[in-house]
Amino acid sequence: MSEVSASILVVDDDQINRMVLAHDLEQEGHRVTAVEDGGSALEALRDGRFDVVLLDVLMPELDGYETLAQIERNEKLRHVPVIMVSALEDIESVVRCIELGAADYLPKPFDPVLLRARINGCLTKKRLHDLELEYIEQVGHVVDAATAVENGSFTAESLDAVAARDDALGRLARVFRRMAREVTAREQALKQEVAQLRIEIDAGRAATQLAEITETDYFQDLLRKAHELRERPE
Amino acid sequence: MAKIISMHSFRGGTGKSNMTANVATLLAAEGQRVGVVDTDIQSPGIHVLFGMNQETMSRSLNDYLWGRCEIGAAAYDVTSSLEDGLAGRVFLIPSSSDASDIARVMRDGYDVALLNQGVRELMRELELDALIIDTHPGLNEETLLSIAICEALAIVLRPDQQDYEGTSVAVSVARKLGVPRMVLVVNNNPAAFDSAEVKERVENAYQCEVAAVLPHSDELMILSSRGIFALRYPHHPVTALYRQVAACLTA
Repeated sequence: MSEVSASILVVDDDQINRMVLAHDLEQEGHRVTAVEDGGSALEALRDGRFDVVLLDVLMPELDGYETLAQIERNEKLRHVPVIMVSALEDIESVVRCIELGAADYLPKPFDPVLLRARINGCLTKKRLHDLELEYIEQVGHVVDAATAVENGSFTAESLDAVAARDDALGRLARVFRRMAREVTAREQALKQEVAQLRIEIDAGRAATQLAEITETDYFQDLLRKAHELRERPE
Repeated sequence: MAKIISMHSFRGGTGKSNMTANVATLLAAEGQRVGVVDTDIQSPGIHVLFGMNQETMSRSLNDYLWGRCEIGAAAYDVTSSLEDGLAGRVFLIPSSSDASDIARVMRDGYDVALLNQGVRELMRELELDALIIDTHPGLNEETLLSIAICEALAIVLRPDQQDYEGTSVAVSVARKLGVPRMVLVVNNNPAAFDSAEVKERVENAYQCEVAAVLPHSDELMILSSRGIFALRYPHHPVTALYRQVAACLTA
């Protein structure tokens, strides 16, 4: 049994080959979908999620090369590793498949040990790639959160998935979330103060201060002269 | 006829001198000849904004008030320290920042009436379009005089409970003295305070027009006393508000 169960698409126009491959792979604990041509393979890939594709090179109509080329041209599919399968043993065919983007090459007749090794190798790379994609996506969530803080639309829950990580990115998200919450709390406290902004003037005390100033001789003198002072010709 | 403008605040630290220097510079940029008199004799500082220090100050307002020179001799054309090609001119009459001079003022005082006479002489001699008096905070005799002689008065305050009461006294005093035009300027408004709401509440509380509500500005804090903000950041929102204050005071 393989350590990890994967979803594998087998593409071969030969029914016997499909059955043999599907049997061997299911014995390893994988889930297998088998189709007989390139068109059906592309359709299956668009409809479902697969971890690896085992693709026969020589098939009628849409052959393995063209099917591989279409997979590689598709942004959503190109990350799925494709192992080319063929009785062809010429090096040129292998090179062409690798150049088109195939992850590996498996000759017929199938060697179960080699098949398992190649599948496991591809799955390991695929998982690393998926982790990298997930990491980049979650970094994007933190960046989006920063934008949301600036826009005033940040919600702490938007970082829950990233904050649950046990790596440095998770710590960054947790610290960011905590700081954003603190800033929000401070802003809300300030807004409450603004809402309660009162200009409180102790009328009695202000009147006393005013009287202390205006009842002086100096002020009374100034009061008499103020108009004249402003109107004095230059 | 030249316009006398007094820039006042009941408490210190409201940004009054910065406001004075920026308004004066913006008026000069429009081509006006502007005088700035630093009557904050006990804690002078506006000269620094115009690139002056005690060493470059051979005469000051103190010398005039103590009868050592004519007021004109204490006037410095600081336009060249501002910006090349400024259409108008700025003349500064600084107060001495020498510790012994400050101590003497605090001990002996001076003849406040001389201030009025000096202001008139300056307007005539320098052919000023506007003269701005940067007053001493509070309501002492020279401040009362500068309020009594001005045609326009700006009282600068911060949205701070401690400023409110003193400002109300200053507003009442100015009304008694019949100041023709009085505006309030709210400075250092925290980002969380909505400017329009602060303006409305302050206007309602004092029944007095608010010329502008200036937000707290990091750039202004960084530039601090090292220059004229409006020249360094001509397109900054705070500069637009300084311009608004200048327009209100000269309208």
